[in-house]
Amino acid sequence: MKDSLVLLGRVPAHPDSRCWFLAWNPTGTLLASCGGDRRVRIWGTEGDNWICKSVLSEGHQRTVRKVAWSPCGNYLASASFDATTCIWKKNQDDFECVTTLEGHENEVKSVAWAPSGNLLATCSRDKSVWVWEVDEEDEYECVSVLNSHTQDVKHVVWHPSQEMLASASYDDTVKLYREEEDDWVCCATLEGHESTVWSLAFDPSGQRLASCSDDRTVRIWRQYLPGNEQGVACSGSDPSWKCICTLSGFHSRTIYDIAWCSLTGALATACGDDAIRVFEEDPGSDPQQPTFSLTAHLPQAHSQDVNCVAWNPKERGLLASCSDDGEMAFWKYQRLEGL
Amino acid sequence: MARDPGTCPRGPTPGRAVPTGFLRPRASPRVWGPGLAARAAQRDKQEPVIAVPSGRPGSGSAESARPSILPSFFTDCIKPMKVEKKLGRGVAKIHIEDDGTYFQVSQDGGTRKLERAKISLDDCLACSGCVTSAETVLITQQSHEELRKILDANKTAAPGQQKLVVISVSPQSSASLAARFQLNPTDTAKKLTAFFKKLGAHYVFDTAFSRNFSLLESQREFVRRFREQASSKQALPMLASACPGWICYAEKTHGSAIIPYISTAKSPQQVMGSLVKDFFAQQQHVTPDKIHHVTVMPCYDKKLEASRPDFFSQEHQTRDVDCVITTGEVFKLLEEEGVSLSELEPAPLDSVFSSVSVQEPTSHRGGGSGGYLEHVFRHAAQELFGIHVDEVTYKPLRNKDFQEVTLESEGRVLLHFAAAYGFRNIQNLVQKLKRGRCPYHYVEVMACPSGCLNGGGQLKAPEMPGKELLQHVERLYSMVRTEAPEDVPGVQELYEHWLHGKDSERASCLLHTSYHAVEKASSGLSIRW
Repeated sequence: MKDSLVLLGRVPAHPDSRCWFLAWNPTGTLLASCGGDRRVRIWGTEGDNWICKSVLSEGHQRTVRKVAWSPCGNYLASASFDATTCIWKKNQDDFECVTTLEGHENEVKSVAWAPSGNLLATCSRDKSVWVWEVDEEDEYECVSVLNSHTQDVKHVVWHPSQEMLASASYDDTVKLYREEEDDWVCCATLEGHESTVWSLAFDPSGQRLASCSDDRTVRIWRQYLPGNEQGVACSGSDPSWKCICTLSGFHSRTIYDIAWCSLTGALATACGDDAIRVFEEDPGSDPQQPTFSLTAHLPQAHSQDVNCVAWNPKERGLLASCSDDGEMAFWKYQRLEGL
Repeated sequence: MARDPGTCPRGPTPGRAVPTGFLRPRASPRVWGPGLAARAAQRDKQEPVIAVPSGRPGSGSAESARPSILPSFFTDCIKPMKVEKKLGRGVAKIHIEDDGTYFQVSQDGGTRKLERAKISLDDCLACSGCVTSAETVLITQQSHEELRKILDANKTAAPGQQKLVVISVSPQSSASLAARFQLNPTDTAKKLTAFFKKLGAHYVFDTAFSRNFSLLESQREFVRRFREQASSKQALPMLASACPGWICYAEKTHGSAIIPYISTAKSPQQVMGSLVKDFFAQQQHVTPDKIHHVTVMPCYDKKLEASRPDFFSQEHQTRDVDCVITTGEVFKLLEEEGVSLSELEPAPLDSVFSSVSVQEPTSHRGGGSGGYLEHVFRHAAQELFGIHVDEVTYKPLRNKDFQEVTLESEGRVLLHFAAAYGFRNIQNLVQKLKRGRCPYHYVEVMACPSGCLNGGGQLKAPEMPGKELLQHVERLYSMVRTEAPEDVPGVQELYEHWLHGKDSERASCLLHTSYHAVEKASSGLSIRW
């Protein structure tokens, strides 16, 4: 199992602090990291080494919790505990903060760009999810404030191809949202986790959603459209979501992050037991009741909680991770043949 | 929904409405108890550990369906408590009984039951740190109880001790009741009058009358501020002031950045408060504290507005509005009496200005939230540019709760007004304003999407979808004949005889108010975990 995940290198990305999150840019050439030191760092390769190309230090007054690249790769959004979200514009190696989104009452926990590039979502400990629209002049306006969750919202992620948003919360649920007339509405609530849902990842097709939780399980949910062949009931024109697989017994602590590789379909998890795990769907498994197998398990991937795992969007098997110990690590994942 | 309303360690004063519908639906405050230990143990890595009971109060709570816009972060109630301090020897321990009462156990073993600190609506700063949806609903359910208590007390009180009970009904509440009981607005007003009098009220007024003053004062204030633009940076835009959800949000979240822009004109509720406790009290030859003034409103936020210290008379030790009940609470009263509004015999309508007799209710143009934009716009067009505007054209922008109105002449934009309803639109407006990018001269701001007719205290119809019901209520509201405020009988006379002139000090004092930035004791971001 250890051989499936090979360490390529470690970088002290946010020394004396936590490294909270990593995000690859759409071309996979840059990696943004953010941390408790209130900074965002942009990393690129020079030969075999990862070097820090920029430090974005004047943006936030508290921990930066998440970063997200726009689909075009020219903008980076950073979500902070200081209740703001900064939008940075890339100008070669420089980043300039072009606007600050305010309005959340307290810590912003996550930010995500819609695939269209016109919409942005943020979520916060204030239990709300906000949808923002950006126009041609880089002006951001709040389009909707969604108050469906009853607790801290930890993560938001957009569907890869539809204009649909998913959020994960301390209230143990996952919620899905879509636009209806001139507002956004919650169109589904996924219940099943027994504790905080920390993160979400859609599969490359967008038909399935993976969620990871403090209850130490990963759940895979599948979307069923009205009139589906499997006879899953839907109300009205909204699709239904069913939990089709639960991965339990693999993680010994909270699972903080999950990433679904768009190239290989491999699922990576970041765990509070300091380990990184990779799962893959068993070939020939029933699409309505898939089975996943653990294909890599690296204990002590970091010396503390692993907060984030991120697959490179262009290079197969390249995985980045980061930890409370302030370090970033790069891994090569490959299936061992002949098993 | 049996929940102890005393989750706030201070506990609400029984029978007193506590901060309510302002709030976004939210869970209980940080309460640590035995059952929550497991949850609390889920140490959330320097993220706040908020131990809360799982499960929420029933989704039937009115304001959870239509939340207002105040912030909802948790803080300890910062109101200082008055505690009688007795110098003692050594440290006392606190022991908590099973029923939640606190006992102080001193070193010699003696116990003393500790007094529960009580906060009333007046004490509360609406920091929104403490009140839960469940409490909110429970507490609001107490408000019509309070009215009953006063009415019951009146029945047994000695003549000199009796209160004069005045009930002022908002046209939005009336429209909601009309829809429910399938009556026209005139019959609703008359039957409601009959109902309240049957319960023991002495007079029943329509806040559409006091709204005349709110509209006229807003019009005049705008024209004055428009003319002052050159010399005063914060003269414009002028923002409407009738919505307490908006006012409290502005005071708490934006403070001095936004307050200067808000119109100082009182809301119809509070103008009625002044009318009833000043003018009407004199007419009736009673002191203001002998009047119990109740208003019927479409939302819960009006309860907080009534409790503002600015609307408390130190001289007479009385509030301008003693109690606010929502349309829903009126419905409860009807149910408790076993009365259907439609069955009642209509009673003649009362008028604040007694020499005027009112046969039917009247209203104002410009929508179900009072028509502020419409009135300020038409008056400004006439006063500032000599242009008479017949029909005001509203242009919806990004959503139906954000609309624009423009006055143009020879290709030039003379007036640019907007109506912004609902939190998301208020957000965008405030952000633009703070960055100096607000293109409007006046904005009618309302906290509730679709305005007051859709307030959190309005009646719901179990079988009818909300949208359809709202349209029905809107239709009924607009059935009422509208009248220009300056033409309404009694208004000019009151300006003359009660206020001693339109620009008088009395008019300024009785028809205007001020706002106060709420300083947070600690920044929400530095809450100790």
